[in-house]
Amino acid sequence: MSAFALKQSETIRGASVALRHVTRSFGTKPVLEGIELDVKPGEFIAIVGQSGSGKSTLLRIIAGLDNGFQGSLSIDSAKGQKTAARIMYQEPRLLPWASVIENVAFGLGPQSTRHQAFAQARAALDAVGLGDRGGEWPDVLSGGQKQRVALARALVSKPDLLVLDEPLGALDALTRIGMQSLLERVWLEQGFTAILVTHDVTEALTLADRVVLIENGRIALDLAIPFDRPRRRGAVQFGELEEHLLTALLKSKSKTEEYVI
Amino acid sequence: MSELTLLATRHSDRKRDALASLFRVSPNGFIPWLLPLSLLVLWQAAASYGALPPSILPAPFNVAKAAWRLLLSGELLTNAAISFKRAFSGLIVGGSLAFLLGLSNGLSRISERSTDTTIQMVRNIPNLALIPLVILWFGIGEEAKLFLVSFGVFFPIYINTFHGIRTVDPQLVEMARSYGFKGFELFRRVILPGALPSILVGLRYALGIMWLTLIVAETIAAQSGLGYMAMSAREFMQTDIVVLAILIYALLGKAADGSVRIIERLSLAWHPAYRKGVRS
Repeated sequence: MSAFALKQSETIRGASVALRHVTRSFGTKPVLEGIELDVKPGEFIAIVGQSGSGKSTLLRIIAGLDNGFQGSLSIDSAKGQKTAARIMYQEPRLLPWASVIENVAFGLGPQSTRHQAFAQARAALDAVGLGDRGGEWPDVLSGGQKQRVALARALVSKPDLLVLDEPLGALDALTRIGMQSLLERVWLEQGFTAILVTHDVTEALTLADRVVLIENGRIALDLAIPFDRPRRRGAVQFGELEEHLLTALLKSKSKTEEYVI
Repeated sequence: MSELTLLATRHSDRKRDALASLFRVSPNGFIPWLLPLSLLVLWQAAASYGALPPSILPAPFNVAKAAWRLLLSGELLTNAAISFKRAFSGLIVGGSLAFLLGLSNGLSRISERSTDTTIQMVRNIPNLALIPLVILWFGIGEEAKLFLVSFGVFFPIYINTFHGIRTVDPQLVEMARSYGFKGFELFRRVILPGALPSILVGLRYALGIMWLTLIVAETIAAQSGLGYMAMSAREFMQTDIVVLAILIYALLGKAADGSVRIIERLSLAWHPAYRKGVRS
């Protein structure tokens, strides 16, 4: 059964995202040029590209951290309301002076009442498998555990859209694989829309419904990934697609170099 | 008990542990006091065998007797109380001004541009160099001491508050903003806790300067207080009282430092450097 069929059996609460002719320049140098992108509710998209290709800028625009762009961005929840994205960064960015559970409750924003917030935070911590660590300080946790707390903080408010900026980039290979399956599991359970920026082609293929390749500020490739979940990294077709994507990425690199020269 | 209350209790337990560890006498707790105590014994021995004439340095026992005498007459406590009041009113006035200005300059570029250069210029004037001017302005009244102490404690607190706020991790601020924190809530939950270690370092410096300034001001321009007590004892060659005053300064300094340590341990319990068993 494909992931999409599995998800359709539940209520999809994810947001839809539409970018129309989004252009962003820093000074005279254009970083993004006329990006057109549609993300369906509940879809998992991976954005790959070389460093400096503009993928992180694109993510910051979608996350609402960068408002200096031209064009239009609309994020609509399943009920048709405007909604905000939640962000997971490459670093956990936990408050060192707050306990783990307080850090998760922080994700509910300033208005949340304390007791209610803690109950929700506890549920979010359970979902990432750290339910019993709520009373500890963040600095006693390992890197992977900190990122799980950051994930719980991003998810505690039940967002329609989760934006991930290479959140697993700093983790070791084994922890990363564990985090990938955790991410996939909560995404399947909760039905939010996910946009992941990564430079890891295998990670993109493991997690995403669609992989978008950004090259010199434009979308160079928009590829649907047809595999069933959970995906088997060792499968032949998986390897072929990985090869194909890597070639496209490397080609974009040689172009960039020509461009530079 | 629900799991939630359990979590909350576990958290408050840790605060209590931090508090308890402050008062627990560890088996090695006497080591820091070994040196001052042996000096005291040496001193007493030297005085008892006549190596130290009483007019130069009275024996510790005689100093203790002087302390007892002044304690009974009430002189010691009255003077100590007056000095305490002066010191802490100066700390409160100068410290809160410095804290507010440090906050405002740390948070606002306009505020920084308009005041920081001036503060940096004034900072390099030794506050005790102002004593002649201050006596001309205020005579030897309370205002003079208040002014000098406030002036002295202002700079360490200002500089460390400013620095603390400027060095709060911008990534945490961006994260908090993305979760809808702004204005006072952003300040209370992220900026102030992030700046607190630095602010407390400033407070620790300020407490040292506070006593130093006050004692000097009291020996020069006062008619009460510990500094005055030492100064008038000098006129009557009462070396025991002079030495007593000096010992009290040492204890006051230690007490001030200790109280900031307690504040640090309680409010920075999250910080690995202030965790139980780790000496800052």
